[in-house]
Amino acid sequence: MTNSMMLFSAAGLALIAGLAEADTSGKRIALSNNYAGNSWRQAMLETFESTGKQAVADGVVAAADAYTTSENQATEQAAQIQNMILQGYDAIILNAASPTALNGAVKEACDAGVTVVSFDGIVTEPCAWRIAVDFAAMGREEVDYLATRLPDGGNLLEIRGLAGVFVDDEISKGIHEGVAEHSQFDIVGSVHGDWAQDVAQKAVAGILPSLPDIVGVVTQGGDGYGTAQAFRAADRPTPLIVLGNRQDELKWWAEQRDANGYETLSLSIAPGVASLAFWVAQQVLDGEDVAKELTVPFLKITQDTLDEALATTPEGSVANVTYSLEDAQQVIASAR
Amino acid sequence: MTILAKPWLWSWLAAAAAFALILGLTGGRGAGELAYAALSFGAFAAIVGLGQMLVITLGPGNVDLSIPATMTLAATLALKAMGGEPGTAFAGLAIALGVGAAAGIANYALIFLLRLPPIIATLAASLVYQSLAIWSNRGLRIKPPEGLADFATGRFLGMPNVAWVGLALAIAVWVLLERAVAGRWLLATGQNLRAARLAGVPVELVRACTYVAVAMFAALTGYLLASFSGGAALNMGAEYLLMSIAVVVIGGSSIAGGNSNVPGVWGAALFMFLVVSMLNSYGAGAGARNVLTGAIIIAIVIAASTRRART
Repeated sequence: MTNSMMLFSAAGLALIAGLAEADTSGKRIALSNNYAGNSWRQAMLETFESTGKQAVADGVVAAADAYTTSENQATEQAAQIQNMILQGYDAIILNAASPTALNGAVKEACDAGVTVVSFDGIVTEPCAWRIAVDFAAMGREEVDYLATRLPDGGNLLEIRGLAGVFVDDEISKGIHEGVAEHSQFDIVGSVHGDWAQDVAQKAVAGILPSLPDIVGVVTQGGDGYGTAQAFRAADRPTPLIVLGNRQDELKWWAEQRDANGYETLSLSIAPGVASLAFWVAQQVLDGEDVAKELTVPFLKITQDTLDEALATTPEGSVANVTYSLEDAQQVIASAR
Repeated sequence: MTILAKPWLWSWLAAAAAFALILGLTGGRGAGELAYAALSFGAFAAIVGLGQMLVITLGPGNVDLSIPATMTLAATLALKAMGGEPGTAFAGLAIALGVGAAAGIANYALIFLLRLPPIIATLAASLVYQSLAIWSNRGLRIKPPEGLADFATGRFLGMPNVAWVGLALAIAVWVLLERAVAGRWLLATGQNLRAARLAGVPVELVRACTYVAVAMFAALTGYLLASFSGGAALNMGAEYLLMSIAVVVIGGSSIAGGNSNVPGVWGAALFMFLVVSMLNSYGAGAGARNVLTGAIIIAIVIAASTRRART
């Protein structure tokens, strides 16, 4: 090492020591993400990047880097986690390709003294923290809402997500529990929309001719606009469609509201949950006592907050909130 | 050759059977509605299927796995450039087709210059195209211009406009294959590359044009699908990879190449939509639906190929 370099690094250390007060200022955090191929994940990555950049600039942490695997494979993500351990990250924030297949790699990370915080796609390994979403409650809430709006009940169409994925099973379970509770409703059809507008549109267009009159549609997010298009193309009256916070859905809702007073509810998980995971990891590194199981609230948009949500959501994206350190502390406190 | 020996017959019979089974459930209600939906969504599968058929006709090992990524990239760039402004539909179409042509040339360059097997070359290229699509617009769904959206979802003489486009392309491909020298070159190349070369067929030119054509078909499908469904999404092409190969095989084209079948592609495209609709209508779960779809596809392929073997 040359003299000038030594001087430079010494000055750098002095600068960090002088400016930053948090105990985590030397810590490095990495995001291990399994998939980037939809607007929700893109918004998630952007939120993580902006939160991380700000935190690094403020001297809260030394690094906050995002890595995404190209093939959405558990094996590939396990290798990625092992690389992160070798690179000496202090914490790994994880959106996992599988709840169980990464447990070995996660255990290795824990054994190496790395804090692992999983969110959205959580892992079951006990040494990791889990920021989970109560997806079943989301499904139940949809039916509860329909019951308040349609007290007489009627036929429902269920749009499911991607077959074989844990989230799809959970939301659907919640919806069916809700229907069991509100017996005036009857699910007369169920299709898989893969959380994509075009797939949902195609599936709904295919099943509609065989369905009786539909009063409500329960969805999983990212499929409401396509469903509405399919009803329109079939010249059927638009039922009450529960939406999933995508900007095109919100815009369609606002147009319908202005045209004929359409009223509904939109709920989903904000992609900003990545920023919540970031702050939880920071708190764990800071030595806070954090429960392993945390729950993140849904982002709900109602008739009253529609205009506000539409104004703050970038065109073609999904409604989002960026969680702050205070939000994370609140979530941690409520889990104690 | 009797009508039963036509390999395309089986995909049309299967489509008709699925259609009849749905109507059996509804008691005949909604027939027009169902046919209209099948033609709309079948058109997208048919157009990518026609492109994939041309490539598969080139002979063993030839397939384009970059179709989903090309669709996504073309649609993303075209819709971004149009930005929802009226009067930009043709500029958008030109961009989409330009992206398709560029992707096709890139695919063929990898295959020809680097001597990569087409499966590897197109798969690797598709990662690049998908990344470009992500990078160019970060997954934001931009609405198509209103006139274009009205065209894509509209109808003419009772048939969806996208189905007219698919039909016109099918006729063009059929004429090319059955009546033009270029089509004969393609079939000859697929039947025996070496013999075709010795007979004076410009085989590399034929292969290059075919790979460009499939990418342009994919780009056009992406452009139409994004206009139809209200914007390009990063995962919009995902289901068209297996779909494009399935419609070729069900349609009665030989997977070994050298033998193509245009009417079968349309029949298979309609069938692929109707079989899922039928199983959904009968309330089959996702697992049962996938198993049954797979079993039915195998049955049709066996029926079509045994008939062909007997003639």
